[in-house]
Amino acid sequence: MNLFDIRNLSISLKSNDTDILAVDRVSLAMKEGEVRGLVGESGSGKSLLAQAIMGVLDPKWSVTADRFHWRGQDLMNLSPHERKAIIAKDVAMIFQEPMLSLDPTTTIGEQVEEAIDPASLEGNFWQRRKARKSEAIRLLHKVGIKHHEICTSSYPHELTEAICQRVMIAIALAKSPILLIADEPTAAMESRNQGQIFRLLASLNQLKSMSILLISHDLENVTHWTNTITVMYSGQFVEAGTTKQIFKSPLHPYTRALVDSSPAANIELPPKSRLKALPGSIPILQHLPIGCRLGPRCPKAQRKCVTAPKAKNYHGHVVSCHFNMKESGKV
Amino acid sequence: MLIFTLRRLNLFIFTIFLLTVLSFSLAFLFPGDALVNISGQVSANQEVLAELAQSYGKDQSIFNQYVIYVGKVFSGDFGVSMISDLPLLDVISTLLPATVELSLVALLIAMVLGIPIGFIAAIRHRKNSDNIILSIAMIGYSVPVFWVGLMAIQLFSIELSMFPSAGQISPVYEIERQYGILLIDILLSDSNYKWQAFSDATSHLILPAAVIALAPATIFIRLARTAMLEVLETPYIRAAKAKGLSFAQVVYSHAIRNALIMIVRHIGLQFANLITIAMITEVIFSWPGIGRWLIESIYQRDYTAIQIGLLVLSSFIFIVHILSDFLYAALNPLARGKKYGS
Ligand SMILES: Nc1ncnc2c1ncn2[C@@H]1O[C@H](COP(=O)(O)OP(=O)(O)O)[C@@H](O)[C@H]1O
Ligand code: SF4
Ligand SMILES: [Mg+2]
Repeated sequence: MNLFDIRNLSISLKSNDTDILAVDRVSLAMKEGEVRGLVGESGSGKSLLAQAIMGVLDPKWSVTADRFHWRGQDLMNLSPHERKAIIAKDVAMIFQEPMLSLDPTTTIGEQVEEAIDPASLEGNFWQRRKARKSEAIRLLHKVGIKHHEICTSSYPHELTEAICQRVMIAIALAKSPILLIADEPTAAMESRNQGQIFRLLASLNQLKSMSILLISHDLENVTHWTNTITVMYSGQFVEAGTTKQIFKSPLHPYTRALVDSSPAANIELPPKSRLKALPGSIPILQHLPIGCRLGPRCPKAQRKCVTAPKAKNYHGHVVSCHFNMKESGKV
Repeated sequence: MLIFTLRRLNLFIFTIFLLTVLSFSLAFLFPGDALVNISGQVSANQEVLAELAQSYGKDQSIFNQYVIYVGKVFSGDFGVSMISDLPLLDVISTLLPATVELSLVALLIAMVLGIPIGFIAAIRHRKNSDNIILSIAMIGYSVPVFWVGLMAIQLFSIELSMFPSAGQISPVYEIERQYGILLIDILLSDSNYKWQAFSDATSHLILPAAVIALAPATIFIRLARTAMLEVLETPYIRAAKAKGLSFAQVVYSHAIRNALIMIVRHIGLQFANLITIAMITEVIFSWPGIGRWLIESIYQRDYTAIQIGLLVLSSFIFIVHILSDFLYAALNPLARGKKYGS
């Protein structure tokens, strides 16, 4: 069963005269219990999309969608307030910069305790206070923080990024979420710590059958941990499929370039030779190309590409390109 | 925290050094004889002058003269007023507390009014109430203080007779002087008319304090609004929202404290500004404070008084600055330094 199903979600920035379409009709769906990667270069709108799902975007952004189903329930015809209540109950998010995502003037202990649902506690005031404390400690243990005494009385800046990220995960787990959105959970971390965080997330997925939307700018970094992957570029949908499909037979020129440029795909290359990456860089919001936004960088671009391509589904492998591998194979 | 304290102490000593150097050099920069300027003895005969030259070390190097001067200042020998011939230490110790009282009450009013209004403006960002608050703040900041002072007297003292227009307390009350801060002295006194005296002193205080507070309050409105807007955009506020907390909870338990910390940083700077306004207001309301006296001394070219008055007033501003820094450190864990490595 689908955990959620979002069709054609757009996010625009209301500026003086024109609306800037930062995310342009992206669709995203997840099954219960799955780990899906959401991949794309920095600036492709992954964080915006995640925050739009959570309903925590600043009011300057406006979000529209054709469909937003959550566990079979249609959220589109609910008020933003009701929608947020449903999402907040079952979805937790951890953010790109863990240290900045914790209040610098409040101790870790208080911040973890605050996330615990008061309804889950019983007894009188004192009993509930104690229960809350021990629940916070249990959560910290669960994410592998052993010295909880030091940790709870610390302020975020007194801890390392990796510890802060564990605290963020503990906070996220407080409401026993059905879906965890992890926005670049290991950015700015040493590889040893990266592995620990990924293993922690994987174990949570197995034990709790908690679904995870794992966001990353690095395709290779997440392939090991995901069942399925969605690729975005500059706010547009690129390709979605199982991890194997994406990695073994990418259909979109962009995905192809990502896979080709990853070191694992270049084992046979002589050392120090250039990786095959696309030339150029991602466009900024103020100068978005019309049609397919990959156009200026795309090796296969043709005149037709000035109109945005429609997503095509090849047995669950969805791609959005006029001249994808399947199409060009036919021609 | 120890390092923080040491650093403040360092700054304090350095600033006091600069202030005394400035005050010392004023004696030479003002017209007339430096010895007369520094001591205030305008009508001394040759004999007394020779004695003075001796005591101020006039035969020694300029550096030694400075050291002697600082020694005198710290032992309370401020010289005498060129006009009234009274010892300046006595004059200042009667006048300074009145200014301390007035300016601190004004600061309190400015913060207590300005900060919450600024927060409300930020929370209602881009709504009508935000725009109205901003415009009022703009107007409040632009009107000159003596106009506000005179209008306040015209309206509240003359037309409405709500508050007295001059002085610190009605002369019928005799309050024994202990700390010089009138409200405290009244509370400590055992006069039968204690509460009448207290309410009389308060009604004398409110109008000038409110006039002084007006411009700083508008600055606090804008500071508080900017700080709150900035805090509301931070990742930790977004993360707190994602926890499922309501907006009110997020503001109450995370935003207010962080925004306050950003505002407290500015108190020191705003206080210097406030003292300037207070000096003018003291003149308008005949407040027996050091500001009014200093302005009079400037008119009367009482160089000794100007010199020491500036030193005392700037030291007071600086002490408030340091205290606000400590408040900042007490509120902000980041300023206190690291507790554990990692
Ligand atoms: N607060 C903001 N104000 C203006 N532009 C923003 C803001 N946040 C993100 N953007 C822009 O939106 C685009 C997508 O950003 P983001 O979702 O953070 O990308 P990603 O997470 O994929 O790196 C980028 O071009 C970025 O510059
Ligand atoms: S639609 Fe055109 S520009 Fe876009 S990826 Fe396909 S070939 Fe390239
Ligand atoms: Mg991001």
